Amino acid sequence: MSELDEFKATYFDECSELLAELEEQFIAIQEGDHDSDRLNAVFRAIHSIKGGAGAFGFDKLVEFAHSFETMLDFVRDGRVEMSEEVISLCIRSNDLVADFVAAARDGVDLAPDFGAEELAAFKMHAGEDDDEPMEDFDIEFTPVMVQVTDESIVSEAKDDEELPDSFDSAPFQESVPETGEHWHIKLIPFSRLYERANDPLLLFRELPSLGDVQIKATLVDVPLLVDFDPFGVYCTWEITLTSDKASEEDIREVFEFVEGDCELLVERRSVPVEADLVGFAEEKDAEQALEPGEPAELLSQIADLAAEDDKGDETPQSSSDEENVVSFADLAAQIEPTPAPVVQSSAPGKETSSPSPAAQSPAPGKKSGSAPAKSTAIQTIRVDLEKVDRVVNMVGELVITQSMLTQQMDDRLRAQYQELVRGVEVLAQTTRGLQDAVMAIRAQPVKSVFSRMPRLVRELNAKTGKKIRLEMVGEHTEIDKTIIEQLSDPLTHMIRNSADHGVEQPEDRVAAGKSEEGVIQLSAEQAGGNIVIAVEDDGAGINRERVLKLAREKGIVTPDQQLSDEQIDELVFAPGFSTASAVSDISGRGVGMDVVISNIKKIGGSVHVRSSPGKGTRMQLRLPLTLAVLDVMLVEVAGVPYVIPLSSIVETLQCRRAEFGQGPSGRQVLQVRGEYVHVIDLATRFEMKTDVEAHERFVVLCEADGNTKVALMVDQIIGQQQVVIKSLEENFQRIDGIAGGTILGDGNVALIVDVQGLKSPTEQKSAA
Amino acid sequence: MRVLTVDDSRTILAMLEHTLKDAGFEVLQAMDGQQGLDVLAQGNVDVVITDINMPVMNGIEFIKNVRAKGEHQSLPILILTTETSQEKRDQGRAAGGTGWIVKPFDPAKLVSVINRVVH
Repeated sequence: MSELDEFKATYFDECSELLAELEEQFIAIQEGDHDSDRLNAVFRAIHSIKGGAGAFGFDKLVEFAHSFETMLDFVRDGRVEMSEEVISLCIRSNDLVADFVAAARDGVDLAPDFGAEELAAFKMHAGEDDDEPMEDFDIEFTPVMVQVTDESIVSEAKDDEELPDSFDSAPFQESVPETGEHWHIKLIPFSRLYERANDPLLLFRELPSLGDVQIKATLVDVPLLVDFDPFGVYCTWEITLTSDKASEEDIREVFEFVEGDCELLVERRSVPVEADLVGFAEEKDAEQALEPGEPAELLSQIADLAAEDDKGDETPQSSSDEENVVSFADLAAQIEPTPAPVVQSSAPGKETSSPSPAAQSPAPGKKSGSAPAKSTAIQTIRVDLEKVDRVVNMVGELVITQSMLTQQMDDRLRAQYQELVRGVEVLAQTTRGLQDAVMAIRAQPVKSVFSRMPRLVRELNAKTGKKIRLEMVGEHTEIDKTIIEQLSDPLTHMIRNSADHGVEQPEDRVAAGKSEEGVIQLSAEQAGGNIVIAVEDDGAGINRERVLKLAREKGIVTPDQQLSDEQIDELVFAPGFSTASAVSDISGRGVGMDVVISNIKKIGGSVHVRSSPGKGTRMQLRLPLTLAVLDVMLVEVAGVPYVIPLSSIVETLQCRRAEFGQGPSGRQVLQVRGEYVHVIDLATRFEMKTDVEAHERFVVLCEADGNTKVALMVDQIIGQQQVVIKSLEENFQRIDGIAGGTILGDGNVALIVDVQGLKSPTEQKSAA
Repeated sequence: MRVLTVDDSRTILAMLEHTLKDAGFEVLQAMDGQQGLDVLAQGNVDVVITDINMPVMNGIEFIKNVRAKGEHQSLPILILTTETSQEKRDQGRAAGGTGWIVKPFDPAKLVSVINRVVH
């Protein structure tokens, strides 16, 4: 990834956050909260998107964002009223900004008139804006290595040592070239130039890039050090620039920061430079021009004064005092090469009196070198998810190694090496802690996906004419980022379903004695090792008669099959099932709720639905906290270890205590507390032969799809442990009924039983 | 040489950091004026580059606050702005800003501008 791509990645990352923020703000604004903070936040977000887009040359995005921003600016200061129309324009435009961003990211060309309607609307509200010429955004940011050739500029430490050399360097050479134009520049600073931390010396430093420079400083009424005002004006400058390329504009650009803070004269002169310098000398009496000997006198005078009053340099003002003195002292030294030795001759003075200007030449670079490096103020860092995943995986391996060590600890070892045992125990604890901490890094509040839902409900309200309010609970519940990413689609489907089939039309609600406004509650909570996310509506509930009728028509349920209410409810998740009699614009898009189930299963979760006729429906997702590590039960089948995810296990029992029977289709069933559960013998299922007597074996009762249970027959139950999931697809190939593999503490490989997959429809059919 | 960059956009911060580090500067970052003041309070900074539009404390307030402190009266502060209109820039200068950088910036220009205000 090139640097530019990295910046772009950062930018698009930031854009998606900004867009989410915009979304949130606009919702609040739409709901009537016209707080100026919100408008400011919106303005800033659009502004930031525009700024970045400009840097990468996304012109269309810049243009759109710019007009949007201009209108927002008008809204912000009250020139445009925050009417319904403007709000809806903003919300629409927000979507368009997102489209522009997406187009820029994917390198897609949008239609030339994309967003033209909104652009026109912006201009209608805010007028044609012409205060910011667009060409300013044309400069593309191309990261380059910046070679700063003038070392004295960047490295202050070096500057100190090399200062005498620089007297001989080009900017101050004595002979003036014959060719080129001569420019006369005169600069008389005002004290506010210094107040804004500008320093003429630094500006002069830039002039040699334009041509040959001679600088003459003129001291004006320099007071004694005690009366010295750091922002006082004690020096003016006259510069002769000889250049064959510089224009007046170039020269003025150098001084652009001090424009208005000084008197600046830039004129072209046809007269030879030498004549000018003579001219300066003639003015000498009036302006107390610097004599070669004077700087040295002045400096030693200052040094003496400072030596007399050492306390002077401890006052808060002193540092700026010194810097100021240094600036002009350095400069004074530079004007006439001859005084330089004199300055050096005052060196003994420097050693005894610290405030001596030459010795005090402040070197910020040095200062920072000695100061302990402080961290930046940002409290968060952004890390590539891949890097975190690597850590997660390694911690996973560590967990395995640790449990392997623990397993090796037999009683004899424990008795013999108590210290070692204690060490291993501490290691186990630390490993656990480390694992939790690493998992927490990847955890994110579900808010990031929840926050997309209010908009959905808003759209649905508009489309269906229903009045639905979305309530959100537990948005701050944290869950693994990889899971969060998988949640968006299922939640969208579930909410669509609730809005479309659950909540009734306002008039029907009133007729049923409910309030006109329906409520969909989206909630998240942590329940043990799981996260439970529920979508609950207060609508009509599932029409079981109709569901059953449809399911029979579609052949999902055989005519003679008897189903409990729960089982009928679960049918809404069956593939190809859709209860809406007419395919609606909202949820009936050919894919049904089965998408929800397949998505959730993919991330190791489960879906349940509960409905009370007339009162509403609750759809619940149960998700693992993380995908990387799994709590499992280790079992053995035909001498081979298998692991079953603990989250799907309801209970285990010995076969000799279990009640088996025959199901209607001749299949073996298990009767547990009045419920009949299909039995799957893992040995048969995985085509292996077991020597263990039937009554010696165990039953592991698992929850498969939603509420359906399945009883797995295994030879032996070994224990519980945590394992790191290794993908079979990546390392081998997909196997039906196996969710993945793992390496056990003793180094053996065990396959993870895919409880849901075992009971897949194909399996049911082939078994039946 | 330590440069404090203050901007609420991570993209801009990242670009500044890249350019400035290449030019041999040490880079500190803050995402609003208040954070900027906190960083300044912690240690030596040789030059500040700040955005104007920021949450919590905007760039203008930030500059005023910096200048109000005796020890930072001579600290060069560059205003980073997309505004080519004079208004924002003048506000920044009135508050005590030393100079400005127009976003999007050209890396070489950025460094030369910094050198125009820093020893």
